[in-house]
Amino acid sequence: MSVRVSRYFPFATGGLQSLLQYRSMFVVTGVTAAAGAAVTVFLWRAVYADAPGGGTGPGGFTPASITTYLLVAQVLQVLHANRVDDEVAAEVYRGDVAVMLVRPVSYPLVRLFACLPVVAANAALVGVPALLLFSFLVPLTTPRPVDAALFAVSTTLSVLIAFCVNLLTGMTGFVTTNTWGVRMVKQSVVAFFAGQLVPIALMPGPLAAVAGALPFKGMVDSPLTLLLGRYDGMGGAVAVLAQQAGWAAGLTVLCAVLWRAALGRLEVLGG
Amino acid sequence: MTRTRLGTALWYVRLSWFLGGVGLHRLAAYRLDFALGAGAFLVRVGIQTAVVGLVFRQVPAVGGWSYHEVLFLLGFSLLPRGLDHLFTDQLWELGRKLVQRGEFYRYLIRPVNPLFSLLSERFFHPDALGELVVGAALVTYAGTSLDLDLTAVQWALAPLLVLCGALIHTAVKLCFASLSFWTVTSLPAMYAASQVSEFAAYPLDIYHASLRALLTWVLPFAFTSYVPAVYLLSGDTALLGWLPVVTALALLLALAVWRRGINTYEMTGS
Repeated sequence: MSVRVSRYFPFATGGLQSLLQYRSMFVVTGVTAAAGAAVTVFLWRAVYADAPGGGTGPGGFTPASITTYLLVAQVLQVLHANRVDDEVAAEVYRGDVAVMLVRPVSYPLVRLFACLPVVAANAALVGVPALLLFSFLVPLTTPRPVDAALFAVSTTLSVLIAFCVNLLTGMTGFVTTNTWGVRMVKQSVVAFFAGQLVPIALMPGPLAAVAGALPFKGMVDSPLTLLLGRYDGMGGAVAVLAQQAGWAAGLTVLCAVLWRAALGRLEVLGG
Repeated sequence: MTRTRLGTALWYVRLSWFLGGVGLHRLAAYRLDFALGAGAFLVRVGIQTAVVGLVFRQVPAVGGWSYHEVLFLLGFSLLPRGLDHLFTDQLWELGRKLVQRGEFYRYLIRPVNPLFSLLSERFFHPDALGELVVGAALVTYAGTSLDLDLTAVQWALAPLLVLCGALIHTAVKLCFASLSFWTVTSLPAMYAASQVSEFAAYPLDIYHASLRALLTWVLPFAFTSYVPAVYLLSGDTALLGWLPVVTALALLLALAVWRRGINTYEMTGS
């Protein structure tokens, strides 16, 4: 099957247009992201304020680097919130997905292209302002240029992993109608095991092992490991990226296989 | 048809009882949905508890609060939130789409109070049972671990504190949902307000002074958990006296906004 990319551009511009109709959404995303960041930042800063000694605290973080970690983690979470999960779920159980199937395009790819402008707009309109706001309020660490470059590559992979996770969550609409509950569970579990609320370095051994074996680590912990330079030489950085790429590839295949299987047993009401 | 005031009140009680029963029937009809909804809260709160546990692996106290004290606060914050969730979550529908789709008129033509009519459409949200059960379990566990010995006055006040907290949650939700009468949909605003309420699950002492002021006097979520928890844990009544005042003011404000909103809606005549 040859994929003609140009077929999918209209979906990308369409996604952008529908996004711009709800400009107030950016304000809300910003407020909620800032609120979420503030809760975790204040909680962990209180820990590092009470930590004995000063300088480097638990997990090898300094007060500035743990703040940077939690803030950037929140920004990454905004990039990952692409609404693919609820849109796919809604289209599946309303049966709207049938309309898509008669078009000569792949539905998962349509979704990918439609969500890319959302990711870019969220990065520019929510992520950057949130970082600027907090940089005035709390001390942050400035990354080395090479770490920033590695972070950019890693973030791209993390967006792909997040897309696959959200698509798989949306596909539960084939099985249950309460996708609200499923999405809420997904959100909590992913946030936790991605290292968004607690850096994996601060988790006890068994929990860290579980987090290390799951793909969600590639969404937050891996990009931040690179950004903060918490890796072991260039070999270590490549290993982090390779693991992410492996998960991205694996999840893409899983999505494709499950999507085929789900369509095989899809029944849409009405005639 | 005229009724005495008492007769009307009794009639509303009977109606609520009946409609609550209708809500319970959903529980049996959509068992998987209920399990998923209540289970989702279980997972969410479980993870919140795990985060608190991981924080206290590093240090014995945060902002002057011990591990079990923070757990007590976290658990207590779920009780008013759950109680409010159990009965008034139909307000999300108002903010989301009822005005936008022009469906709101149907609450105005029924022979009951429009607010009651709206809420009674789904009087019982069983998902909230997950929150209430976990909240009660956390409070009991943390209270036992702290050897908390409540006085008779504290025992008597505790349910009232939960009730006031629930009413504050309802007031904030009603206020933001009513904005939809002017803005067509107010879901974004409601979502932002509910996100801010998450701050109340942790000790106010760790936050920046401006955030503390916001949570105490603007969006008064501090009165739903922090103020009652401080009172129950230490007997400190510094802010407790404000609780009924804040609850009453929040409710009055929300009802005023709601009433003005209904009038606006009638005038557009859609």
